[in-house]
Amino acid sequence: MTTPLTLIPGQQPDGSALLTVVGEIDTTNTAALGEALDGIEGPLVVDLTGVEYLDSAGLSTLFAHSDRIQLIATPLLEPVLAVSGITELVTVHGLTGGG
Amino acid sequence: MPSHDTDDERAVGAGSGVFAADAEVGPDLARVDWSRTPLGPPDRWPQSLQTAVSILLSSRFSMWMAWGEELTFFCNAAYRRDTLGQKYPWALGRPASEVWAEIWDDIGPRISTVMTTGEATWDEALLLFLERSGYSEESYHTFSYSPLRDDDGAVVGMLCVVSEETERVIGERRMTTLRDLGSDPSVVRTEQEILAFADQQLSRNPQDLPFTLTYLFQPDGSARLRGSNGMSADHPAAPAVLPPGGGVWPVTAASDGESLLVPLEGAPFTGLPVGGWVRPPEQALVMPLLQQGDTPYGFLVAGLNPFRVLDDGYRGFLELLAGHISAGIASARSYEAQQRRAEELAELDRAKTTFFSNISHEFRTPLTLIMGPLDELRTEFADGDPRVREELEVAHRNGLRLGKLVNTLLDFSRIEAGRMQATYEPVDLSLLTAELASVFRSAVEKAGLAYDVDCPPLAEPVFLDRGMWEKVVLNLLSNALKFTFEGSVRVTVGAEAGHAVVTIADTGIGVAADEVPRLFERFHRIENARSRSNEGSGIGLALVKELIGLHGGTITADSVEGEGTRFTIRLPFGTDHLPPESVAPLRDTRAPSSANTYLQEALRWLPDDEGRPPVPHLGTDPSADLSVLPDVAARVLVADDNADMRDYLTRILTGAGYRVDTVEDGAQALEAVRAQAPDLVVSDVMMPELDGLSLVGRLREDTRTASVPVLLLSARAGQEASIEGLHAGADDYLVKPFAAAELLARVRANMELARLRNHQARWRAALVDSLQEAFFVCDENGAVIEINAAFTDILGYGPEELPYQPIHPWWPDADDDAVAHDQVAAAFSLLTGHARGSYTIPVSHRDGHRLWVTAMFSEARDPDTGSQVIVGTFRDVTAEHYAIQRESAQAALGMRLNRATSLPEALMGALTELRDVWNAERVLAVVRREGREPEVTSTDPDLTWQDLPADRREEFTAWLGRPPLTAVSDATGTGITVNHPEGPMVLHIRLGENRPFTDEDQLLLSLMAGQLAQALVRAHQIDQQRETAIALQRAILGPSHLPEGFAVRYEPATRPLEVGGDWYDTVTLTDGRIGIVVGDCVGHGLQAATVMGQLRSACRALLLQDAGPAKTLMALDQFAAGIPGALCTTVFCGVLNPETGELTYSSAGHPPGILARPDGTTTLLEQGRSIPLAVRPGRHRPEASCVVPARATLLLYTDGLVERRRRPLTVGIDQAGEVVRNGRDASVDDLATQVMARLAPLNGYDDDVALLLYRHPAPLEMTFPAESSQLAPVRKALRSWLAQCNLSPQTVQSVLVAAGEACANAVEHGHRDAPGESVRLRAEALVDALHLTVADSGRWKKPQPHLNTHRGRGIGLMHALMQQVTITADTTGTTVAMHTRIA
Repeated sequence: MTTPLTLIPGQQPDGSALLTVVGEIDTTNTAALGEALDGIEGPLVVDLTGVEYLDSAGLSTLFAHSDRIQLIATPLLEPVLAVSGITELVTVHGLTGGG
Repeated sequence: MPSHDTDDERAVGAGSGVFAADAEVGPDLARVDWSRTPLGPPDRWPQSLQTAVSILLSSRFSMWMAWGEELTFFCNAAYRRDTLGQKYPWALGRPASEVWAEIWDDIGPRISTVMTTGEATWDEALLLFLERSGYSEESYHTFSYSPLRDDDGAVVGMLCVVSEETERVIGERRMTTLRDLGSDPSVVRTEQEILAFADQQLSRNPQDLPFTLTYLFQPDGSARLRGSNGMSADHPAAPAVLPPGGGVWPVTAASDGESLLVPLEGAPFTGLPVGGWVRPPEQALVMPLLQQGDTPYGFLVAGLNPFRVLDDGYRGFLELLAGHISAGIASARSYEAQQRRAEELAELDRAKTTFFSNISHEFRTPLTLIMGPLDELRTEFADGDPRVREELEVAHRNGLRLGKLVNTLLDFSRIEAGRMQATYEPVDLSLLTAELASVFRSAVEKAGLAYDVDCPPLAEPVFLDRGMWEKVVLNLLSNALKFTFEGSVRVTVGAEAGHAVVTIADTGIGVAADEVPRLFERFHRIENARSRSNEGSGIGLALVKELIGLHGGTITADSVEGEGTRFTIRLPFGTDHLPPESVAPLRDTRAPSSANTYLQEALRWLPDDEGRPPVPHLGTDPSADLSVLPDVAARVLVADDNADMRDYLTRILTGAGYRVDTVEDGAQALEAVRAQAPDLVVSDVMMPELDGLSLVGRLREDTRTASVPVLLLSARAGQEASIEGLHAGADDYLVKPFAAAELLARVRANMELARLRNHQARWRAALVDSLQEAFFVCDENGAVIEINAAFTDILGYGPEELPYQPIHPWWPDADDDAVAHDQVAAAFSLLTGHARGSYTIPVSHRDGHRLWVTAMFSEARDPDTGSQVIVGTFRDVTAEHYAIQRESAQAALGMRLNRATSLPEALMGALTELRDVWNAERVLAVVRREGREPEVTSTDPDLTWQDLPADRREEFTAWLGRPPLTAVSDATGTGITVNHPEGPMVLHIRLGENRPFTDEDQLLLSLMAGQLAQALVRAHQIDQQRETAIALQRAILGPSHLPEGFAVRYEPATRPLEVGGDWYDTVTLTDGRIGIVVGDCVGHGLQAATVMGQLRSACRALLLQDAGPAKTLMALDQFAAGIPGALCTTVFCGVLNPETGELTYSSAGHPPGILARPDGTTTLLEQGRSIPLAVRPGRHRPEASCVVPARATLLLYTDGLVERRRRPLTVGIDQAGEVVRNGRDASVDDLATQVMARLAPLNGYDDDVALLLYRHPAPLEMTFPAESSQLAPVRKALRSWLAQCNLSPQTVQSVLVAAGEACANAVEHGHRDAPGESVRLRAEALVDALHLTVADSGRWKKPQPHLNTHRGRGIGLMHALMQQVTITADTTGTTVAMHTRIA
């Protein structure tokens, strides 16, 4: 049984691709997340504002697409993102002092 | 005596296993109808009785025991054999008082002492009159009575270990009598004195000798009473004279040499003395006093001990007594005879002296009449029968010698009477002296000596009596030749200061400086000087001096011992010094008149022409044909320096049938006797080298030759009394001349006497051998040189290997048993420098078994040799020693077992005691409880079953299957099986290198094991009772399982109770809330605990009805009012919501709870308070509520924690609050420990203390299957728990992620290695920190980011998000422990 996760593909106001993720990302549902990311070509903004939990499995999936994604996240996820180093590769919006 | 019931076959059924240990007594015990005894059938006997019977039967030591209200009798095979006699098997199962009815007055009180006090008794050699052989018997017993206890430890019986000592005690008593009898200090006694002394000694043993009578035969065949002991003088059984042929006692049988047992019944025997008893003798033994080769001297009547049978030992003792009295009579009579003879000899000597001093011319006539015809016969038979010629030569030589002696004595008489007729002629001194000297030339040269005669002519003549001068020169030359064995003899003549000087010098043996002045004394002889002959009278030099004195001259002697002697004669020239009437002109020279006599004598000293020695050495008479003599012919050794005398004696003795050896002096005699002791020595008194008196002395000094009889011969009379010879120790003394018949009579008599004396030696040997103690004699170096038969019996070492040099072979081995060896060495060192002493030491029997002996010794002087010796005895005290050892070991074990408060403690104590008793390296016990691996208890505390080598484990396992009290042993030690209440047990003792474990040790081990088995049963019962009590106490004390987040402590004031008046309780209610109660009943101890138990249960029940704290306490008021002792109980009662921390509470007069907040402040829960329970039942109680914040700590307690004398309660409360505040970093359980420790008074709590702590929230504890689907629910639960902890969202997120990573890892490993295994997560909030633990059963990979990026990243995340991460992996799984501060 996988942890429930809601994945909503959409578009930014500027027309660029957007994936809104709601729920908890853990090792049981990273495959679904990966599929969703694979299903969208080109630059992509992943909105993690509705994500209450993100572990290293989820981070790995995000790392796999780090060359074309940007993230939107709340400060709740900031320590995990910072510690993983993904903030160095990917632009993260919504963090304190972030863009 | 009632007969034994043997009717049935019911016997060997139930319970016979108890008796299986012994095949002899066991079946008889099994046949006893035990159901008729108070003990009942054996299968219902308690363990303790079975144990005692097992010990009894398996022992080879003599034992009996009594058990139960009637003291029912049991015994083993050894006791049956040694003591019980005809009472077996009747005695088995009977009351002890019936079995031993005849001695119950003696032993009953002892047994009742044991039964009432539980203390053992010890009696040594107690006299008891047993009736075991059909009569009342004097017997002695050394025994101990030890208490026997039942399974509850009460004394219900007694065990007697006994050794019968009858033989020893009676043997010692008889020995003492024999010793006293032989201790007569005086050497010579009259018959009457000897008999009186014997009576006096015999009277000291009235037990064996109630009375004795000694009758001696008169010449007419009647017997006269000469000694009596114990009997009144006028008793009809002791008439003064018994007529020949009979009377009261059997005179005829005794005179025929027969012993007779006389029953003492009827007329003359009424009213006999009782001696040492209460009854007179019933029999008397009449024994002849035997005389060697003749009718008995008389007879001894001995009244017999009515309490002993006349066995071989008794009879032997009495015969020794009679033998001793006979020997005493013999010695007294022979002494009287000897004394008469010595007096006669002295009289004879006096007569001889008178005879010699009055000797007259008459003597010469018969001598001449002998010598004349002799000379004629010699001429006639010069070519005749050699035997006749030889006899004639002997007669002739001795005739000459006798003539010379007679002449010399006549000269003396003349000189003394002033009747010496001298004629002084002017003589050429040089010429005359040279002539005289030339007479001796041949003899001197034959002796191999240089002869230097230097006699130059003098200027003037010297006036001499020729005859006298001849005697002077010949005497001196004869003397020189006699004492010179090598070198030269020198004669010189010269002149000096108006004197002619003549010297005669030799290089002979010389004389000692102190002897020189006495050389010229009449009859003085230099003793023991080495010479060619000891012939001579000791008057030669005296005569020389007298003769020179008549010439107005002087003679002096210069001598150096070992170099030679020089005599110097000075004679004045002229005639002024001479009586004028005696001076005459020179007459014709004539041949020296007596020169031939001197020469003949001298030549006899020298070897003959064939070079044969002058005297035969140790030769027998060649004419005697030894082969025809009987083998039994007695051997006589003849020692005489005179060859004729040797020949003469040999002829006489050989003719009488003796075998004769001859030697020529005392030294040779001594050598010959030492080589082979003859039956008699006949010795001349005066001999060269070693004279006869010295020979006797030397023979007597040496034990080997001391008993050889010596007959001395001497021609000596006058100055020395012949009695001197007897004083020197000679057996007889015969003066020459003697008749052949007289010599033979003396020889025969002395051989008889010697046989008597040998009887004395045999007497001593019999005395020593009949000692029941080992007897030994040590010389001054400690070597054992004599032992008796008992010594061999006790130690196994016989006389054939004597002497035993120290270190004696019976010393314990220095390597195997150093302790025992040192004990003996220390005792042995006492031997020197102490006149007497006694000590008890261990020794080894020849076969190796250990003995304990009491050694007694004293210094003595050997009467024969005069050397210092040590005589001693060993008494075998092994049984006593071990009895004492058993007593003390059992007492010590008993002490230890009594002190033990639990089964393991009892067992450990016993092991320690066993180790101490045997000084063992290690003692261990192996117990196998049902269905469990055997368990080891050891004096070596770390030893476990698995530590033992596999072969040892196998051996122990095999032993565990054997019946209880079976001895077991192996190469490393010895052991025994014991019944442990929880299963079979083996005790094993490792003694160490080669230490022996004797039968005695085995017995002691069995006894101690039996004692231990009983104690273990008792301890087991006590343990069970205590466990029950503790379980009950715990049941009333509080919940066995506490909800999470709580910690409790309880300290009762009254030990060893584990409960008191205080209590705590937690009750989980149906809605998840938790009821909390802390209460305190008045008082402590069991009384308070019973009240507390009831209140606690009631309170719990009320809370479960969801009553709420105030309502609960109000209901409890009503309840407590009905319970005595419940009044004024204080209670804190609360209900906690563990989710929210909300607490509702009410207090019945209880000290306030303390709430310590995470910010460091404390609040007292002082609301909701009212009076203690049952003071006003029905009164309303208030209730309050508060919230226990996240990470706050609640402390509830009873006043014992904080209340101290002379100190306000608030001080204690503040102190408790402070300890809680300071325990921020401690888990709640650690904090409870800290509170109890910090608040404890110096000497511990003196009141009950109950303590309850709660920290909010309670730790989270989850266990879930290792499946990834579990991750989300776990995360949810953790998130919810974290919410209760009041943390920042960031901290919550970090903890969630770190925990999530750890769980994900655990799941992955769980899937991989063991699907379905569970993972455990625990989270605990301290005040300032948070602990997380995730544990699984798998092994993690090392982080390898390049291979598995996100897993490696997971561990990185944990480290980054938490302050401390520890990952511990072992075979059982992996644990991740994480810690972060949350201030």
